[in-house]
Amino acid sequence: MSKLRLNGVSKAYGATLALRRGDLEIAAGEVHVLMGSNGSGKSTLCKIIAGSVRPDGGHILINDKPVIISGPQAARVAGIGIFYQELSLASHRSVEENICLSALPVRAGLFIDRQALKARAARYIALFSQVAGEGFHAEALVGNLRADQRQLVEIMKALVSEAPILIFDEPTSALDRAQVDRFFEILRGLKAQGRGIIFISHRMDEITAIGDRVTIIRDGETIETLKLSETDPGTVIRLMVGGASDMPAARSSAPAVVEAQAEAAISVRNLSGKGFRDVSFEVAKGEILGLGGLHGQGQSALLRAIFGAGTVTSGEVAIGGERYDAKSPRDAIRRGCAYVSGDRGRDGVISGRPIIENVTPVHYLRDRLMIARPSSLRDKAIPALEAMHTKFASLFHPINSLSGGNQQKVIIARWLIDRPDVLLLDDPTKGIDLQAKADLFALIRQLAAEGLGILLYSSEDAELLGNANRILVFNGGSVTRELTGDDRTRYNLYQAAYEAA
Amino acid sequence: MSSVTAFFKQPLVVALILIVALLYLGQSLSPGFASADQILRLLIVASLLGIVAAGQNVVILGGREGIDLSVGGVVSLSAIIAGNVMNGADGGILPAVLACLAAGAFFGLLNGLGVTLLRIPPLVMTLGMLGVLQGLLVVIRQGIPSGRAAPGLSAFVTQPFAFGIPGIIWLWIAIGLFMAFMLNRTVFGHRIYAIGSNEHAAYMAGVPVHLMRIGLFMISGMFAAIAGLCLLGYSGSSFANVGEQYMLSSIIAVVFGGTSLAGGKGGYTGTMAGALLLVILQGILTTVNIDESGRQMVFGATLLLLMLFYGRGRAMRA
Repeated sequence: MSKLRLNGVSKAYGATLALRRGDLEIAAGEVHVLMGSNGSGKSTLCKIIAGSVRPDGGHILINDKPVIISGPQAARVAGIGIFYQELSLASHRSVEENICLSALPVRAGLFIDRQALKARAARYIALFSQVAGEGFHAEALVGNLRADQRQLVEIMKALVSEAPILIFDEPTSALDRAQVDRFFEILRGLKAQGRGIIFISHRMDEITAIGDRVTIIRDGETIETLKLSETDPGTVIRLMVGGASDMPAARSSAPAVVEAQAEAAISVRNLSGKGFRDVSFEVAKGEILGLGGLHGQGQSALLRAIFGAGTVTSGEVAIGGERYDAKSPRDAIRRGCAYVSGDRGRDGVISGRPIIENVTPVHYLRDRLMIARPSSLRDKAIPALEAMHTKFASLFHPINSLSGGNQQKVIIARWLIDRPDVLLLDDPTKGIDLQAKADLFALIRQLAAEGLGILLYSSEDAELLGNANRILVFNGGSVTRELTGDDRTRYNLYQAAYEAA
Repeated sequence: MSSVTAFFKQPLVVALILIVALLYLGQSLSPGFASADQILRLLIVASLLGIVAAGQNVVILGGREGIDLSVGGVVSLSAIIAGNVMNGADGGILPAVLACLAAGAFFGLLNGLGVTLLRIPPLVMTLGMLGVLQGLLVVIRQGIPSGRAAPGLSAFVTQPFAFGIPGIIWLWIAIGLFMAFMLNRTVFGHRIYAIGSNEHAAYMAGVPVHLMRIGLFMISGMFAAIAGLCLLGYSGSSFANVGEQYMLSSIIAVVFGGTSLAGGKGGYTGTMAGALLLVILQGILTTVNIDESGRQMVFGATLLLLMLFYGRGRAMRA
């Protein structure tokens, strides 16, 4: 008998098919692992089961009876409990209140039954009492807890539902070894009770440790379900990668070895900060260093920290052999750093202002200008925009009148008037059209040829494989592998991204 | 056709049409309202408001819910400082100007530091500063007699200076030109719009956001101080809370002129028209014998109406 079955479930957001076809079967007493790369549709699938997204088609069966899950409350009633990867805790409330938040015990239909609440929360707190660490107790305010402790509260919150079907979407990302082991013991106990558990993790060792079966999702489709005892990590990764698994990088125009310009454009030594730790590398002049790995493994945090917009706790950065500590982007820009973010609405576009004012702010700083003379600025801005093949009617039209791809070109053009020495690219092609992407990478390779040191983080593997001379794979905030030469394959990239941190 | 409607939808054009209409209305209510003398007088009063509104304008343009509620307090304080420093002597004008500018810059600096370093919302910070200033005014006025304006200053504000137009109107025109230059042709001006439109993007492009914001509040304080000084010249001697009315009216003038309260959009030319419009409206209300409290009610209602009019489509909190 299956606890939960999904038949041909699909979901589209506008023209984008987030989930083409989801088939899934969860048996009683199993931990069922979902695997797939970023954007493959795992989260959409989980959200459909948890009722926060309504599917466009397909059927959901619980205990072999068809059900319609109309919302989160309906999912709860149907016996589904979920752990959310984005923390959904009330930081000014205590641990026990947070644990019981979704179903507060009430008396006389109105008043919170404090004693029942305490008793109920205490049972779940006790489960982790050996591993929760200092400062973790029932009355502690969630806002004062460490990240791993908050994640434990989130786990307890899912457990307290006592739902027959439990979904854990990356529940272990902040936990330490002992906490993970304890959590797995508890999961095994739940399995023994006959519950069905869906488990998402990007750590291969955890998956083999706790999972019974694995379903692989690729491009919005559930590809295959395997017994983990009868397969090996290599097979799983090959399935995730798909047909193009052995696509070598060498076919693209990114040579493995850069022309011998021995001098380093930027060197980073043992750099640690918020979101990354102990990262060291050197980028030669003319080199494109790729940063790979799953989303949010410290790549963006590192780039922002180098640019002075993040926190550095230890280590050092040197540009052109000279050490510098950027306290602000202003410092970093003066030292010759440039940073392009994929989140242009937040980090780049000065909305409502003319295109020219979106091109010139960096020039103002680097040339210490006081007066903005339109004629001389135009002469500087136009070549920079043309280098990017930017389409615009007039420099004085608001930037919002352009398409997303052209807006991003304007943002990049602002760094081209005064050439930087180091270019930091933080997923720069997010949400822009193919032509703009091609223009962008043509420019990036040209800039590298002119001697810039370039750091490229991209959430699209093809962009890394096609442009980077070397790739550092990030996992859990640190570099776990360096791919050079013929090792730069999609398979190796996936394997390094998914192996144990 | 569409370009014609677009033309008539520009705040500046709307304001200018309203100015003519209100002058006509005033003239019909009370013949002589739109005489040359009267218009000159209205312009003098509008100059005072316009100078305060210049500072208010840059603070609002800078975004992050920027607003300066302390301008009225600075105007009053500056009038008292100026009166006591010059005390009726022309030789005291220059020291008075310097003292007023220093005081305005000082209180602007405090506002700016509170907003940037202590992260106090501008609304709360400048309202608190207004309270401090009002208290300070009470303390100062106990004991020390209020000073008098120097004849030179009074002449500058009320008597023809060149081409039959008083000096203060020339000063206002000069400030208008200066503001247009600063906002459109200087790096500082472009950075004001940048932090007002998208503060984080400006920060990532190397704009010194905190310093800029402190600078804007200091500019606001100094403009209010200049207005206080001129106000002393206009009335001859300072009295308590002479500047109180400028808090609300300076904001209305800025909004009337098409500057968005969310920041990053607008300019000073519209604000000048807005100031003129408000002063004419005030004149009409006086002609039809509506007293100060009634005028305040009309002003408050005007601001709310304007927000309804311009605020559509874009939430105030950016």
